[in-house]
Amino acid sequence: MAVRARTGYLPGELALDSNMTVEGALRYFNTLRGNKADWGFVHQLVERLQLDLKPHIKNLSHGNKQKVGVVQALMHRPELLLLDEPTLGLDPLMQHEVYHLLREARADGATVFFSSHIISEVETLAERVAIIRQGVIVEEAEPSQLVSMAIRRVWVRFKEAVDPTSLTEVEGVTLLSKSNNIAVHLQVEGEMDGLIKALAAFPVSDFEIERPSLEEIFLAYYESNDKEED
Amino acid sequence: MFAEFKHTMRRLRGQMIGWGIGLALYVVLMVSFYSSVARMGNLYEELLKFYPKEMMGFFSSIREINTPQGYLDIYYFNYMTVILGIFVVGACASLLVGDEEKGVLDLVMAHPVSRTALFWGRLLGFVTATAVILLVSWLSWVIPSGRSGLELTWIKFLQPFLPLFAELLLFGTVALLLSMVLPSGRMAGMTTGGLLIANYLLIGLANINQDLKPIVKYTPLHYYQGGYAVSGLKWGWLAGLLAVSAIFAVLAWWRFQRRDIRVGGEGGWRLPALPFRRRAGAGREA
Repeated sequence: MAVRARTGYLPGELALDSNMTVEGALRYFNTLRGNKADWGFVHQLVERLQLDLKPHIKNLSHGNKQKVGVVQALMHRPELLLLDEPTLGLDPLMQHEVYHLLREARADGATVFFSSHIISEVETLAERVAIIRQGVIVEEAEPSQLVSMAIRRVWVRFKEAVDPTSLTEVEGVTLLSKSNNIAVHLQVEGEMDGLIKALAAFPVSDFEIERPSLEEIFLAYYESNDKEED
Repeated sequence: MFAEFKHTMRRLRGQMIGWGIGLALYVVLMVSFYSSVARMGNLYEELLKFYPKEMMGFFSSIREINTPQGYLDIYYFNYMTVILGIFVVGACASLLVGDEEKGVLDLVMAHPVSRTALFWGRLLGFVTATAVILLVSWLSWVIPSGRSGLELTWIKFLQPFLPLFAELLLFGTVALLLSMVLPSGRMAGMTTGGLLIANYLLIGLANINQDLKPIVKYTPLHYYQGGYAVSGLKWGWLAGLLAVSAIFAVLAWWRFQRRDIRVGGEGGWRLPALPFRRRAGAGREA
């Protein structure tokens, strides 16, 4: 009970009493919390999310119901926030407003746990990311660490035609494609050191590393696990 | 607990107004008819001689229709357990499970409210709502009765409402308990409603077929006095009905404390797979 009093929760499948008005629902949740919420703060949240307090829940769009869920999770200024897909169904402007609200909650000292399938949202907001596969955390790190641990793709352009065989002999390097031995597209798993040293023997005119997105890393985890299972 | 009580009262507001006004209008109409029925006296008794004896047996109080207790019983208390039973069974079967099935309970229980407070707050709200509906009905009998010849004191009018209240609580708590153990609130409501109607029919049929008498004493409506409580309340029966209701309520609370709450997106639990269903499932997997 004490923990729940200090926690704000937003379920992934948000369901509210459809016969209540928005204000009625928020006041009911506030009563369950012993009327601890500052109603002035509730009005601020409502205004920032452009939510009307008067309509009945049954008349709200999915996005507006989600806003009610976000407000009820934040309105008592919880120390711990557990949010399952907090921006589900919100338009991009409102998504950004929710990001601001979560950053503000974090700045006020709250710990925010949220799950999301929107990888850009995770990259924007998260300080630490856990990748969950079949209910088990398969990786946990800071977003930048995850990116650095991941597979990179490298474009190399040479001043003249070369034989790139020696590059593919470097550990972790795979040749993806080549263009008349003037340019090669490589995939590097792990450290870049071996490849860079091998490239020193070649007349390189251009070199470009494709930084993987968190989404690619996420997919890589799933693909690699699928291969292991097969 | 008070928050849940208030919330339940607010949710049942429409039911209270609808049932309260509807029954009040009906009662006022019945009160105004009493003087005419009472005046018929011997004529009515002559008329009853032509009624089928099965009907006279089923509605036994019809013989006393020109007395206050007979009139109250035949026109109100006899079947009000079934009529108001619709309200109590529906309300109780969905009191907690209704929200659970909609996924609302998941969020409610993430708030600092205990299952005990949630359960008893809502049950208390339901009990109060039922009491309010009966109170409106009671006032509808009492206020116009002076002009109708129904010369009963307000306490006499109150007496049959107490067993009615107790019966409604009993069937309500049965519905609540069943909603905690059956796969859905709808199934709990249907089962309790079926039991209530079966019991009502059994009581009437037992007046026709004496072989049914030994069975009915094990059913709740056997201990329902109806309009005859005007002549004197059987406190033992009333206390027994209330005690059984309390037992069902405690069992429902105990069950609610220990069961997993279904969250949004989950359906009701399934009955255990029968052997042939398991084989069919295995065939599909292969």
